[in-house]
Amino acid sequence: MKRILTIAAWSVLLAATGVGLAAVAIRVVQGLGVTNLNYIVPWGVWVAFYIYFIGLSAGSFLLSTMIYVFGFKKLEPIGRLALFSALIALIAGLNFVLLDLGHMERFWTVFVNRNMWSVLEIEIHFYVLYIAVLLAELWLLMRRDLIRCGQGSDWKAKLCKLMALGSRDTSEESGAKDIRRVRILGMLGVPIAIGVHGGTGALFAVVKARPMWYGPLFPIIFIVSALVSGAALLTFLLAFFAGRGMPKEQRDDLVLTLGKITAGLLAFDLLLMWSEFSVGFYGNIPEDIEVLRMMLFGPFWWVFWFVQIIFGAIIPLLLILLPASGKSPRWVGFAGLMIVIGIIGVRLNIVIPALSLPVLPGFDTAYTMLPAPSQTTLAYPPELLTWLTRLAVVAAVVSIVAFGVIGMRRLRGQPGHVFERALAGVGTVAAVLLLVFLIIRWTGQTTTTAAFNLGLTGLDLTHTPIGGILGRTELHSFYIPSPNEWLSSIGVIGLTILMFIIGYNILPLETKEGH
Amino acid sequence: MSQTQTIELAPETGAAESRRRFLGKFTSAVFAGLVAPAVMQLAHNDPVLADEVPAEEAPSPTAAARPAAGDVKPISGEQSVVDRMLDDLQRALKRRADGQNVRFGMAVDLQKCTGCRACTIACKAENMTPPEVSYNVVLEQEVGSYPNVKRTFMYKPCFHCENPPCTPVCPVGATYKREEDGIVVIDYDICIGCRYCLTACPYGSRFIDLGKTYTDPPQPYETSASPEYDESRVRAEGGSPVGNARKCHFCLQRIYRGMLPACTETCIGRAIHFGDLDDPDSVVAKLIAARSHIRLKEELGTEPNVYYLV
Repeated sequence: MKRILTIAAWSVLLAATGVGLAAVAIRVVQGLGVTNLNYIVPWGVWVAFYIYFIGLSAGSFLLSTMIYVFGFKKLEPIGRLALFSALIALIAGLNFVLLDLGHMERFWTVFVNRNMWSVLEIEIHFYVLYIAVLLAELWLLMRRDLIRCGQGSDWKAKLCKLMALGSRDTSEESGAKDIRRVRILGMLGVPIAIGVHGGTGALFAVVKARPMWYGPLFPIIFIVSALVSGAALLTFLLAFFAGRGMPKEQRDDLVLTLGKITAGLLAFDLLLMWSEFSVGFYGNIPEDIEVLRMMLFGPFWWVFWFVQIIFGAIIPLLLILLPASGKSPRWVGFAGLMIVIGIIGVRLNIVIPALSLPVLPGFDTAYTMLPAPSQTTLAYPPELLTWLTRLAVVAAVVSIVAFGVIGMRRLRGQPGHVFERALAGVGTVAAVLLLVFLIIRWTGQTTTTAAFNLGLTGLDLTHTPIGGILGRTELHSFYIPSPNEWLSSIGVIGLTILMFIIGYNILPLETKEGH
Repeated sequence: MSQTQTIELAPETGAAESRRRFLGKFTSAVFAGLVAPAVMQLAHNDPVLADEVPAEEAPSPTAAARPAAGDVKPISGEQSVVDRMLDDLQRALKRRADGQNVRFGMAVDLQKCTGCRACTIACKAENMTPPEVSYNVVLEQEVGSYPNVKRTFMYKPCFHCENPPCTPVCPVGATYKREEDGIVVIDYDICIGCRYCLTACPYGSRFIDLGKTYTDPPQPYETSASPEYDESRVRAEGGSPVGNARKCHFCLQRIYRGMLPACTETCIGRAIHFGDLDDPDSVVAKLIAARSHIRLKEELGTEPNVYYLV
């Protein structure tokens, strides 16, 4: 059974990567014309994936500095893994930048044609320094193991020998020396990693043409969400794949610790997001608020509510913090995976909505109809909304009853029934949906005959400080990623996963004794 | 940084250039003949133009003789605003030839814009821009609610800001503001197509050439060489300017031959005025001095060089 699953997973990965790389080839030959990018939304999913992977990289690296610089010894077994995923994620991020260039063949000219005032140019320098630090740290940490594995005569030994770069000293003293060097490199690496992702945030933060991006909080949000994604990635990797050399108890304990760190960082990230949204809405500046509305209620509202909030934050937080699942490394690892995927939604929402608002009123209709379908606020039949609301109310009631029954049983010391738990779970999800639908309904879809308006539609909130949230203007999106954009992204991501698996199986990333 | 020096031809070198200039004058003279009464009407209301128009010399469109070669005279004795702008341009080019810097800019009279979009078409024809690239656009807005509704039109080229937010972000320095005339240009051979400048422009003045064509297979008008930057580029797959950012450059190839930008020359309402803002005698400088004006998004500190007369 396990064998079949493994074969299936490999075939899916290889097939998806193959198809994706074919799409990349088409994009390379035909140019940017295969995308749906346009003059209103010039950056799309590729840029979103670029900042996503740079974030994963910086996050993993900063986590590794907790071990080597700040002496958080408990995490030591995953130190090399963190550095290696940082390296692979960085390569993935840079691949996405390359894919996004109008003239891919000129990428190397960034080192020749210089403009030191460009944040992007400064970033490129940070990336180069960062790669150097990553490679040096990884090599120093693996050096003794590489020498050891280079003893044999098979191809792997030869490869190890090659990677050991002629170093032969396996003594304890040399190992201690390595660790000191890593510590120094890590100290250098902290500002560099902050530069790498804070700077990536600054790419956006300095653009005064886009009020949503422009602001001093943005680079900080980038760093915090980088830490979240890095910690979540390592939680997931350790829970399901890595750390096979460790004793089970140690590994489980480590997964739970990482899960707690992730949850704390995620909570802080949510706080920053709340600050951004609440201050933005209170300010009620049209250019700012339209973008926030685009995220919350625009054509791609579900990316925010379902991918970013429910899938990427609320459910994983509950999984980690609730005692029932929070003690199981598998559930915590799964929560890590959910966060890693949910952050994709965060990145998409950073790049696309801010651009979807035309810089000047009338600019979108000024001269041409864009070939990319311009999607307005979601169109659903009014009856559907009514019925979903009814269902959601019923489900919420059921869940409340179910929770009540479970609570009663607990009080009497009886174990809860599986059926009741399932009901409670489904009901909770439904109740959340109810909230979402009601919020959407507030935004102007009120022509429906409200079956359960709960008195909310009668409230006039348009003259309150948060009035802008309920603005009645239509929201357009001028960009829907083209099939090629998605397939190429899958190709690059598939390649990244393959690189990671190959590297993970060849390099001595895990060691029982540690340093 | 390799700057395009080929553009800086001395004005009126070669027979072809002077012929083009002559034809330009000829068409504007004929045009002036057709709308002379209307122009007079406007001129009387226009404080800048009125002082140049002697009232007694009433125009008689019928008297417009067929101009002989080398003898293009304004129909009614007064100089049309186009002729004055051409003279302004000659003075600016002379200053440039003397090694002085100029600052090209525009004054757009919103009262005179009719929303015909001839400027957009003229620009497309001149610079041979592909779909989804238009160096100027006319923003149209409906103001008020029925029955008190009106539409407003706003011609919008690149503003060639004094502090352009689009140039510092370029990672390869492919786009820059020219010291000598204040025009923001793009070096197509350096631009890597990252589109950072598209996001950084607060006015939507930059476009990405996605390699699209209006016709499939592309017709000769799409595949012939473009006069842009005097580089005679042919849009072909993979080669610049495909994959590059593109923008308005005040028709560099025209102004250094003594011709007005295509949009300015073609504007039927004479809403667009072009010239050297640093020359106090130029039409643009006088209009800006005399009329109340606005610039878009001044709070960003970009200091646009295109003024809207309101």
